[in-house]
Amino acid sequence: MDNRFHQEQEQLRLIVLKMAALTERIVEKAVRALFDRSLEMSAEVIRDDPDINQLELQIDRLVLKLLALGQPMARDLRFIIGCMRIAVDLERVGDQAVSIAHRARYLNNRPPLPPIPAMQQLAETAMDMLRMALDAFVNHNVERARDVCQMDEKADRFNVQALKDLMDFMVNDTPAIQRAMQTIIVARCLERVADHATNIAETVCFVVEGVNIKHQFP
Amino acid sequence: MNEATKMSAIDLDFYYGTFHALHDISLDLVGNQVTALIGPSGCGKSTFLRCLNRMNDLIVRSRVDGQILLDGVNIYADSVDVVELRRRVGMVFQKPNPFPKTIYENVAYGLRINGVKDKELIAERVERSLKQAALWDEVQDRLDKSALDLSGGQQQRLCIARALAVQPEVLLMDEPASALDPIATQKIEDLIQELKKNYTIVIVTHNMQQAARVSDVTAFFYLGKLVEVDKTETLFTRPKSKQTEDYITGRFG
Repeated sequence: MDNRFHQEQEQLRLIVLKMAALTERIVEKAVRALFDRSLEMSAEVIRDDPDINQLELQIDRLVLKLLALGQPMARDLRFIIGCMRIAVDLERVGDQAVSIAHRARYLNNRPPLPPIPAMQQLAETAMDMLRMALDAFVNHNVERARDVCQMDEKADRFNVQALKDLMDFMVNDTPAIQRAMQTIIVARCLERVADHATNIAETVCFVVEGVNIKHQFP
Repeated sequence: MNEATKMSAIDLDFYYGTFHALHDISLDLVGNQVTALIGPSGCGKSTFLRCLNRMNDLIVRSRVDGQILLDGVNIYADSVDVVELRRRVGMVFQKPNPFPKTIYENVAYGLRINGVKDKELIAERVERSLKQAALWDEVQDRLDKSALDLSGGQQQRLCIARALAVQPEVLLMDEPASALDPIATQKIEDLIQELKKNYTIVIVTHNMQQAARVSDVTAFFYLGKLVEVDKTETLFTRPKSKQTEDYITGRFG
């Protein structure tokens, strides 16, 4: 393998980092759109998502080229496969952000629901997990990646709590059912972001150590 | 040495005059498996391969310390008949080297020099060896033609047939496909997979993809030392040694 191969691998890393940065930002904007009731933020999320999709396509092309022409081995192989997996997760996180932005736009044009602390906690946990997973990728930090996997249970707990709170609320205030349903979908999206962050963390362990830790955490 | 081990190198050192070419190599070669030896040029992998059937004996001022066991018997013991050893441990070289004889005579040659005179037996062995080497269908109607008229890939399979005719137990291959085009290489690789059912195979290759494709176990040599040996899948996906990792990912030097 020549030097060009490693240069292109570095290029792949930079594109993944760019995609990661955009995705992290888009999730923050979606959460702000929801909690700050910002229509502007919703619009930005919907506007920015195609950029993430384009980066995924770029990564796919480069990965295919590196696999076919470089025939990588060992850590190079794991890194390239890892980038491909992470790109898939990031693209889906972007889609979740768009879904949140759409729900936020709906909700922001209607009277606010009472605050649901579990929603806020779920959003913060999901964003923390995504940030930590990407940080683990950048720094090859498997301890941090494993911490992310441990946090997934917490995200699931907040999601269940949010669901319970919203269902109680719907029972008492039937005219708000549609808004509550939209909020439940948002909770589901945030829980999915946490799941993708967990996938990314698992991929980091695979890239760094060559071990597969999928399905090891409850 | 466990039961499945066909050959074992134990604390093997090899010297070309004063040059210490192999350092304390211990390696088990398991029966019915393909073991690939990889490493940069001059790392000792071909030297090690040639130690396995005492081909290095032919080099003046060379010296071996340590042992190589074949079915538990040290092949460097005084009592060992080197001709018989090389019958049991056959070899195929980098460049196809057919004799300037007919296709038939090339394969029959080893039998004749081993004293086999029974024509029927020779004919049967020639046919079986050519079939095992996946060459029979291509040459059965021109066995009396010169082997030199065959293509490079066919010549190499002929050399494999020639090695198989004397019914070896171990087959040593020194870059057997490096002079061949991808189609001929594919045939040799398919053949190796077929042959390992009956033989223990050791292959030296510079082509790491080839090592990854054909072998069960891979051993990485560097500067005359055995750095790492592991299942091929493990060695090429998560090697333990940094030197191995650097070599297989092209980061050497």
